[in-house]
Amino acid sequence: MNSRASIGAVCGVILALVSSPSKADQTARVNGITDNTPSFVAFQNATIVMQPGQTVEHATLVIRNGLVEAVQRNNQAPQGARIIDATGFTIYPGFIDAYSDYGISKAVKPEHTDDTPLYNNHREGGNAANDAIHAQQQWFSEFETQPEQAKQYIEQGFTSVQTARQDGIFQGQAVTVSLANNIANDVIYRANSRQFGSFDKGSSRQQYPSSLMGSIALIRQTLSDADWYRQAQGKQYYDAAVEFNAALKALVDIDKQGMIFRVNDEKSLLRADKLFDQFGVPVSYVASGYEYDRIDAVQATNAALIVPLNFPAAPDVDGRYRAIDVDLAKLRHWERAPSNPAVIANAGMVFAFTLTGLEKPEQFWHNLRRAMPYGLSEKQALAALTTVPAKLAGIDDKAGKLVPGYKADFVISRGDIFQQGEIYSVWLQGQEHVIKSMDAVDFAGHYQWPWGSDQTAELTLKTSPSAELSLTINGEKWRTDKLQVQDQQTTWVAFAPNEQHDAWRLALLPDSKHQFTLELIDPQGQRQHVIASRKPLANEEPEQQPSKPTFVSKLTYPNRAFGLPQLPPRQNVVIRHATVWTATADGVLKDVDVYVENGRFSKIGKALSVPAGTQEIDAAGLHLTPGIIDEHSHIAIDGGVNEGSEAITSEVRIGDVVNPDDPHIYYSLAGGTTTAQLLHGSANPIGGQAQVIKLRWGATAEQMKFDAAPPSIKFALGENVKQSNWGDDYTVRYPQTRLGVETIMRDGFQQAIEYQQRKVEYQQLSSAERRKTAPPRPDQRLEALLDILNSKMFIHSHSYVASEILMLMNLAEEFGFRVNTFTHILEGYKVADEMAKHGASGSTFADWWAYKFEVYDAIPQNACLMQQRGVLTSINSDSEDLQRRLNTEAAKSVRYCGMSEHDALKMITINPAKQLHIDEHVGSIEVGKDADFVLWNHHPLSAYAQAQQTWINGRKYFDRDIDKQRQQQVAAEKNALIQKLLATPLEQRAGAEHGYKEAQPLWRCETEHDVWLHQAQHNQLMGAH
Amino acid sequence: MKSWKHLFSGLVLALAASTASAHDQVPGEKQQHPILLKGGTLHTVTQGVMVNTDLLFSGGEIIAMGNQLTLPDNTEVIDIQGQHVYPGLIAMDTTLGLNEIEAVRATRDSEEVGAIHPEVTAHVAFNADSEVIPTVRYNGVAYAQVVPQGQLVMGASSLMQLDGWNADDAIVRAKTGMHVQWPRTYVVDAWWEQRTPEQQREANAKALDTLKQVFVDAKAYYDAKQADQLNAVDVRWEAMLGLFDGSLPLYVHANDVRQLEQALDIAKEYGFQLVLVGAADAWRIKERLAKSQTPVIFEGLFGLPNHNDDGYDQAYRSAGELAAAGVNLALAYPGYWDTRNLAFGVGNAIAYGLNPDKALAMVTLKPAKLLGVGAQLGSLTVGKKASLIVSKGDIFDPLGQDLSAMFINGRKVTLQSRQTELYHKYQKRPE
Repeated sequence: MNSRASIGAVCGVILALVSSPSKADQTARVNGITDNTPSFVAFQNATIVMQPGQTVEHATLVIRNGLVEAVQRNNQAPQGARIIDATGFTIYPGFIDAYSDYGISKAVKPEHTDDTPLYNNHREGGNAANDAIHAQQQWFSEFETQPEQAKQYIEQGFTSVQTARQDGIFQGQAVTVSLANNIANDVIYRANSRQFGSFDKGSSRQQYPSSLMGSIALIRQTLSDADWYRQAQGKQYYDAAVEFNAALKALVDIDKQGMIFRVNDEKSLLRADKLFDQFGVPVSYVASGYEYDRIDAVQATNAALIVPLNFPAAPDVDGRYRAIDVDLAKLRHWERAPSNPAVIANAGMVFAFTLTGLEKPEQFWHNLRRAMPYGLSEKQALAALTTVPAKLAGIDDKAGKLVPGYKADFVISRGDIFQQGEIYSVWLQGQEHVIKSMDAVDFAGHYQWPWGSDQTAELTLKTSPSAELSLTINGEKWRTDKLQVQDQQTTWVAFAPNEQHDAWRLALLPDSKHQFTLELIDPQGQRQHVIASRKPLANEEPEQQPSKPTFVSKLTYPNRAFGLPQLPPRQNVVIRHATVWTATADGVLKDVDVYVENGRFSKIGKALSVPAGTQEIDAAGLHLTPGIIDEHSHIAIDGGVNEGSEAITSEVRIGDVVNPDDPHIYYSLAGGTTTAQLLHGSANPIGGQAQVIKLRWGATAEQMKFDAAPPSIKFALGENVKQSNWGDDYTVRYPQTRLGVETIMRDGFQQAIEYQQRKVEYQQLSSAERRKTAPPRPDQRLEALLDILNSKMFIHSHSYVASEILMLMNLAEEFGFRVNTFTHILEGYKVADEMAKHGASGSTFADWWAYKFEVYDAIPQNACLMQQRGVLTSINSDSEDLQRRLNTEAAKSVRYCGMSEHDALKMITINPAKQLHIDEHVGSIEVGKDADFVLWNHHPLSAYAQAQQTWINGRKYFDRDIDKQRQQQVAAEKNALIQKLLATPLEQRAGAEHGYKEAQPLWRCETEHDVWLHQAQHNQLMGAH
Repeated sequence: MKSWKHLFSGLVLALAASTASAHDQVPGEKQQHPILLKGGTLHTVTQGVMVNTDLLFSGGEIIAMGNQLTLPDNTEVIDIQGQHVYPGLIAMDTTLGLNEIEAVRATRDSEEVGAIHPEVTAHVAFNADSEVIPTVRYNGVAYAQVVPQGQLVMGASSLMQLDGWNADDAIVRAKTGMHVQWPRTYVVDAWWEQRTPEQQREANAKALDTLKQVFVDAKAYYDAKQADQLNAVDVRWEAMLGLFDGSLPLYVHANDVRQLEQALDIAKEYGFQLVLVGAADAWRIKERLAKSQTPVIFEGLFGLPNHNDDGYDQAYRSAGELAAAGVNLALAYPGYWDTRNLAFGVGNAIAYGLNPDKALAMVTLKPAKLLGVGAQLGSLTVGKKASLIVSKGDIFDPLGQDLSAMFINGRKVTLQSRQTELYHKYQKRPE
């Protein structure tokens, strides 16, 4: 529990016990005097906003017993009601935050008793097998009113929140409560509201999941399990009765509960939406503030968004070189973040606002008012604070509007709250929470009164944003001090010019709205009164509707340096007089034309005739090769390359976490690479499923996927999987030797076979037997292993030494399938014959070695020896660096062992295409294949070759000349943004310190860290929740 | 008279045959008789490219270059018609001989504990029998500057020739410089960085203060020693004396422009002979560097953009841009096993604008001068050591590079390695 909140609560209790008569509640006895103060109130002369778009002027709001009784358009107050004059005030429905952790204690991270990794959680109360899943938690049972915490919300005009502990993946069912200072029994508006969730495993110490893709896989398995549990509850499983599982039971009706799911960025929003769509779970998202980056894709989810207003602090670009540390993407976000709500609104999306994410709640109105000029209407903004969150929090039948029968929850503001209005009072369940007295006199104005016989005193008093005054008597300015503006009086002390000691005490006292008495106590202590006349302050800065701000920044895809304004168009083009490296039996063709039509190679030959008007590229002196294909890449991945927690994680999918914003996509295009297999890392024997992408820079993650590629999966052998170099804490996971690597794989495949048998047996049951028998629980992990056994999913196995290569081939043969590709395979040359016989291909490094013991026998002639012995051989990168220059990596086989140049080129084009089973589409220059190609200014394997243009499916994604311009544009745009920032006053640069995306690491095969653990540390540091 | 012993150009095969049975490679024998490399293209560095020119060396030194040379008795003539001769490459900033297998702690001797260890010197732990060394020679590297690693003051480097029987035999020049890893100046927003920008800036400033204090203390020691006022020897400051009398250059390993500027300022304050190593951001201050003629060893030959907003090719073209601006430039490919890619890295710099005629000096004569051996090494010059390589094609291009011979001080050096042996072994495996 938050200690400040608990002290507040204790104080509240003491006050209640000592001094207050108690309000009778329905089940507790009153000890002492009963409080029966009536709660029948009428607010007269008010502007009443009943709901977004419906406002009545000069009307009366009547409330009684905690509910709205009437809105009287004739401004008549009922007999017997306490009347409050609300002249000059506007009344809005109370605001609702649909995403909060109010009144719920924070998660306590279990103490680290030792550093041994925890693979299985403690089981109690029918909990889930993973500590990040507490779907069964019903947060009303933990809810307690916390007046101090409530104040932060109430002061911004909020009257109710939907709340739960924001910890873990399935976080439990939230409760929607009033922020009123009443007991929980009275403030709970909806006990069982939405299920909260996130991808972050939170306080769980369990190893799994350690990555974003692991979290996604866990959600997929859990929702599948819930579906299974619905059918299986109470039945007999194959070896025992179906267990009681509270978490799954709680998720059985998740399609009716709905979820509120928090995401870190727009990419994860899209990921989550795809995931939950598959299970028909209705979800609303707690947005990141980056939705404008890809609003079309976000809009296509049709989901409701809960939008934070945590606009980031301006980055620090002062000084000589600090701007170097601030990239263009950051500067763009600084400029555009305040436009995000308007962009969402104008996309027609349903959205609500939340205080979540704000480092200081009092920034809320400041930020909302900053957001509005970008095109957010008052009606939209009000809906985002009332009717929409009411619906998201499941209380739209009782809150969010000021109509009869709804809760008497409302906000009273002087003036329009979306302009300059100020909140005076917030009413919760018919009880007032005073922020500022509604009776307070507005003292601002120009005052005049006579001074002596023939002189005049003049006073200018401002009250907002801060109180200031200036006093002039007979044209001379007096020094003033100790100004205090209170509800019913304003006082100060004044000194005549050049006077140090003789102090005058002055006070303004209101007689009526426009007439004031000035009280003076002269230096001798004599008190006098004069009439002061007041004139309103001239509007020095005439109030003008702020015009729509203009942007210096561009918006590109991805929204960072070198992003594209839109996807490049598909072009029909003829390339003339090129030296064409076909990567087919045709070899290298000199002075040849290639015609690209509708994204494919349509003709190849001398002096081709093409339709008139076809765009031509004169490629005389240039070399044209197929786009380079990388069998082993780890770029373009978000949230961890390894789900390295458990030994077998075949259920996780790189395809779930493709990161289309990674600049290495662009760098690789600039090196001629067009296709890459994004592989899971090598931290466990059976890793995750791979994803083949085309490097369509500017596209979304889904658009990058190369759908012709069949499923593939990463296996790994040797030092990494037996945790040889992980440190002394990592010595408990099975396996720790190459012996165990074989057996854990064997055990996995055996389980998959038995799982398949159970499915078959279940299918064969009679319908009567099925009524008693639970169906086999669909197991995503074993399903993937079955796909391998059935040769529907292909293995790419990280491997180095001869023995482990033989082991995996023998194991596969025993189970009746083939290992597709050994990757790294630095000792492939020792067992090339066996590989060729088995039918395994090899994808190797050109020359890496000596970085660990198992690569001490690596030789740069490996590719030649494998190729000579009949192994289909490719060169891969496993590196964001080498992926940019695979051409010269392939050339090393020419250097070290005399491979023919055309064969070397094949090692980075058609050979990897075959290994990925995409050679029907890509990998060579052949009629009918995808027009993925590179134009080089030099022999393509030479050190001196520079990619000039890189094309994918007839679209030009890289052009060196355009890149040169773009480099200048990036510099110019950055400079313009820096200029704008430097011209921004310091106070307007304030904002959220952690309002920017965190850079993704450069993932390597062996990068194994718990992204959630790291995120927790980062958030703690940044003071976030 | 003249005794012609005509060898065919298949020198590699001859050498291979002589060493194929050995597990390790035997260092070359001291030059026994004069050798003439006949008809090659000489990339002299100092006198341009001399096509179809003979080169004669004897007693470990180049004694003549030209045609129709008078040959001493007993001269071995090697016909290298169509091949290219270069000075043996000098690899700066390596851990060759200190590290064998990166992941195996027992085989790493490059980094001493603590942040400040100027007293350590690289050649002390140099393993002349490292299996890595012959693989690097294979690509034309004949000499390496071996550098202790560390977080701040790393220690002294030494220049080694890469064909020695042991560390003492391999050493060319001990203590070629004092190496400092310059404290971080920038702030990052990366997964491994758990500190706020403010905390990072504080830590950066503190690390710089620590380094400045090292210079203050070392200078105090130097001054006291000059005046014969020392209480006792301090091995740390003893190792740094040369910085203050100008006999020991200060190598600053740094990439960010702020680090480079701080290093320039502090070196100026103390009058250090500064060498900047790494220097990814050097292009940002190339005019200043050109003006000061501070030696820069640029290492990002295949570098990724150092900052998100830099062009994809910024690192590729930096060497060319620095050279064109007149910066006193050398090139390096730091590391140990991967240092064999040094020549290819130079090729990439040429592809992106480095003048090919100037490139060779940046991995030969420039490093030799920085290491204080410019009079003996780094070019094909009469009177200099016969440390040279013969390649069938352009050494900077993987399509051309194909060494047929390497000589260090006139000694024939084998180009075989553990890797070629494994290659030959498995070539022999019956199908």
